[in-house]
Amino acid sequence: MATEPSPQFLNSIRLKYVKLGYQYLVNHILTFLLIPIIITILVELAHVGPDEIISLFRFLNELDLIYIISSMLLVIIGATFYLMCKPRPVFLVDYACFRPLPNFRVPFSTFVEHSRLVPQFDEKTVRFQIRILERSGLGEETCLPPANHYIPPTCSMAAAREEAELVIFSAIDELLNKTGMKPKNIDMLIVNCSLFSPTPSLSAMVINKYKLRSNVMSFNLSGMGCSAGLISIDLARNLLQSHGNSYALVVSTEIITPNYYLGKERSMILPNCLFRMGAAAILLSNCRREGSRAKYRLSHVVRTHKGADDAAYNCVFQEQDSEGNCGIKLSKDLMAIAGEALKSNITTMGPLVLPSCEQLLFLFSLIARKVFKSKRKPYIPDFKSAFEHFCIHAGGRAVIDELQNNLQLSDEHVEASRMTLHRFGNTSSSSLWYELNYIEAKGRMKKGNRVWMIGFGSGFKCNSAVWKCLRTVKTPVDGPWSSSIHRYPVEIPDVVKLL
Amino acid sequence: MEVLATLTTLMLIYSLYLLYKFYSLKLSSDCYLIDYVCFKPSSDRKITTEMSGAIVDRNKTLGLSEYKFLLKVIVNSGIGEETYGPRNIIEGREDSPTFDDAMLEMDEFLNVSVGDLFKKTNISPQDVDVLVVNISMFSPAPSLASRIVQRHKMREDVKTYNLSGMGCSASMIGVDLVRNIFKSGKKTLAVIVTSESITPNWYSGTDKSMMLGNMLFRSGGCVMLLTNDPARQAQAKMNLKCLVRTHIGSNDDAYNCAMQKEDEVGRVGFHLSKGLPKAAVRAFAENLQQLAPKILPYSELALYMYRTIKQMAVKPKDSSSSAMARINFKSGVDHFCLHTGGSAVIDAVGRALGLSKYDVEPARMTLHRWGNTSASSLWYVLGYMEAKKRLRKGDRVLMISFGAGFKCNSCLWEVNRDLDDGDVWADCIKNYPPQSLVNPYMERFGWVNDHTEDSFKQSEREFLSTR
Repeated sequence: MATEPSPQFLNSIRLKYVKLGYQYLVNHILTFLLIPIIITILVELAHVGPDEIISLFRFLNELDLIYIISSMLLVIIGATFYLMCKPRPVFLVDYACFRPLPNFRVPFSTFVEHSRLVPQFDEKTVRFQIRILERSGLGEETCLPPANHYIPPTCSMAAAREEAELVIFSAIDELLNKTGMKPKNIDMLIVNCSLFSPTPSLSAMVINKYKLRSNVMSFNLSGMGCSAGLISIDLARNLLQSHGNSYALVVSTEIITPNYYLGKERSMILPNCLFRMGAAAILLSNCRREGSRAKYRLSHVVRTHKGADDAAYNCVFQEQDSEGNCGIKLSKDLMAIAGEALKSNITTMGPLVLPSCEQLLFLFSLIARKVFKSKRKPYIPDFKSAFEHFCIHAGGRAVIDELQNNLQLSDEHVEASRMTLHRFGNTSSSSLWYELNYIEAKGRMKKGNRVWMIGFGSGFKCNSAVWKCLRTVKTPVDGPWSSSIHRYPVEIPDVVKLL
Repeated sequence: MEVLATLTTLMLIYSLYLLYKFYSLKLSSDCYLIDYVCFKPSSDRKITTEMSGAIVDRNKTLGLSEYKFLLKVIVNSGIGEETYGPRNIIEGREDSPTFDDAMLEMDEFLNVSVGDLFKKTNISPQDVDVLVVNISMFSPAPSLASRIVQRHKMREDVKTYNLSGMGCSASMIGVDLVRNIFKSGKKTLAVIVTSESITPNWYSGTDKSMMLGNMLFRSGGCVMLLTNDPARQAQAKMNLKCLVRTHIGSNDDAYNCAMQKEDEVGRVGFHLSKGLPKAAVRAFAENLQQLAPKILPYSELALYMYRTIKQMAVKPKDSSSSAMARINFKSGVDHFCLHTGGSAVIDAVGRALGLSKYDVEPARMTLHRWGNTSASSLWYVLGYMEAKKRLRKGDRVLMISFGAGFKCNSCLWEVNRDLDDGDVWADCIKNYPPQSLVNPYMERFGWVNDHTEDSFKQSEREFLSTR
């Protein structure tokens, strides 16, 4: 027996249609305005008789050749200048992520056993690490570099260099294979690795291994945190927009080896449990011919730096504890600060990407609050109308939860982030690329889709980038998810009992 | 008729507008150096010869051959008595630097110089759009760029870049980065901060190739303000004319000649190999090959072509290195800022470019007064020239530096107006150039060369007992 639908339900449907109608109207306002203009012109044309048309032709014939040529010339000059002044598009030709081998895996049992055997950790510290791991959202297949499998971990510079060579070179090898790119055609190289910065730099290491040209523009960014991958993309965009046909190689990674914390400070233990091995290599180009084979086009990059606020600056801080062990201290208000940074970023990003209807609503809400002092809650624009996919930095379970809440995203939207955290752990600046690969491997990336990448990092920074998909990505996708995508998505319990 | 005329007029106006936009885009790609401020550490951080001796003495693992080696290095270094070192080394804790020591060394520089630059140029920190920091051997999280943002409460949309690991030529990489950002056309104000961290990088082992760094590097830094806003051109000191970067890392010997690594025992140090001069020459030659056509007048280039062809006609198998020496760089460049890597480096570059004593004097004096301050050394050299009132409007200044990797970067500036700001040289410029640059270390510790292993130990015991 069909029951009468509740008035609230009916109301919400009516509202939904009103909302849809309103969205459609505002987004296509220009089309709607053009219709009366077109009708007027058609009506006018209908009035024009054949005599007038003939007299128009005769008039044109009488014009001086010079007049015609100069008009044509002006049109050509105008078109040329217009094309030259337009900023060149930045294409993402392809990207590749480091695929860790199974022998680097750190299942829960290994992690627990190692923690117990490392002499520097006391029982309380071990228990704390296990508790973090239980609630972390990580799976059993995350990987640590070879040096961290020793007991105690060997944190030498040579081992760190080995890890860097392993992750960076395999990612770049795969990328060069995929794209058929010759190393000597690379014009710009940007490497970002936050916590390991030897001299000569990792960018020099890449130049040495791949024999890049002597006039390659190389930059090595360091200390910029987990959002540094997007900073590198922004820098690559600046370089590509000020040079002719060029290719830029961006390498994002984090080297774990020298950063294992061997002390007892609780606020500094977290990175041990979350950070895992990973790297990504991305090929960008501004050649127009790459437009046909490129996967994505970069639409916007927005960077927000909250360093002026002392609490934000100090919330992720590298320091030495009382015993002299170096580690990264995370403060308790990290989530709140991340939320604030995101709000600032959205305020700049919103006008660039939101459809007109959302912007108008936001504007009205803003006016209502500021001018009319209305007490209503601030209107949070619906970013789901601007993007099809979201790549949120897999910094940790709490970060993803916080962002899902703030942006009112569904579970499917944050699935890529959660599954990446589960399968690969927190690979810092390269995590966004693992997430993108997840979406592609699931066959969800279609032509015209827009992707929003959001990264957070020490400083405190929130950086975001918007990509537009240029061609539907066919499955199966050859990448880090090849061997495991069929098992995902998995249900991640709140707590995995290890003790 | 009117329609066509109106249409043509509109097209004309639009074309003119686009032309104007294109022209302003070209203008905005200019890069002006408004001002720069070098860092002068406090005088309690001065390292004299005596202190150097004491520091070397503290390392009990050193034997006679190491002492001889260090003596040779220090005597030939060209470094004087007034250079500055980090506090932990002066206080005797060079073997066990803490994170806080390294941060303190940076803070002493950042807290003074960045604020000084803002005061000098009358710019508010909130006006800064781009901040580039390069400190090669210390890269904490959050970055030192973020530290500056925090201290000066910069804007949220400031673009920070923290370069690290790029060696002694990194300040020009910073300029290159800023120059590329300027090309986007938007009016931008950029601050570049360059320095080096010595505290965490002291080598406490016995590998000779790694001890050089200990002896030569000194504390220093520089903060520069650049812009592409033509409205500020009158205020600017110099314009950037061209910048050439050369990286020969593809050659394995060049890549390995200056490398931070562990010695056999596991102590981290900066290894400088014997192949370094060769790598430097190669990088330098390649850099000049690209630079020369951009900076020399056509007459000089034509003359060079003529000389080369003549030479090839006479002796077709002649090497190109001698031909290179016959390009007269002084035809296109008035002043030379050479990286103060050491007196050997300055001499070699001076010979290659055919420079006189007057030309290399700023670099030599900077090495004597400040030591090798790594990436910021070029700016101290520039400061010397300015203090000596050598920089007149229209003069062209060539900066050349080398760095690990192996890189050679060079750039050409044109002086915008007569400059006479002494900055950090103001109090001592009248003492330069001094009568003699001979190192007093030679007389104090000359006895090292006369000893054998046993007599060394004997006189060492005597020497220590007198202290």
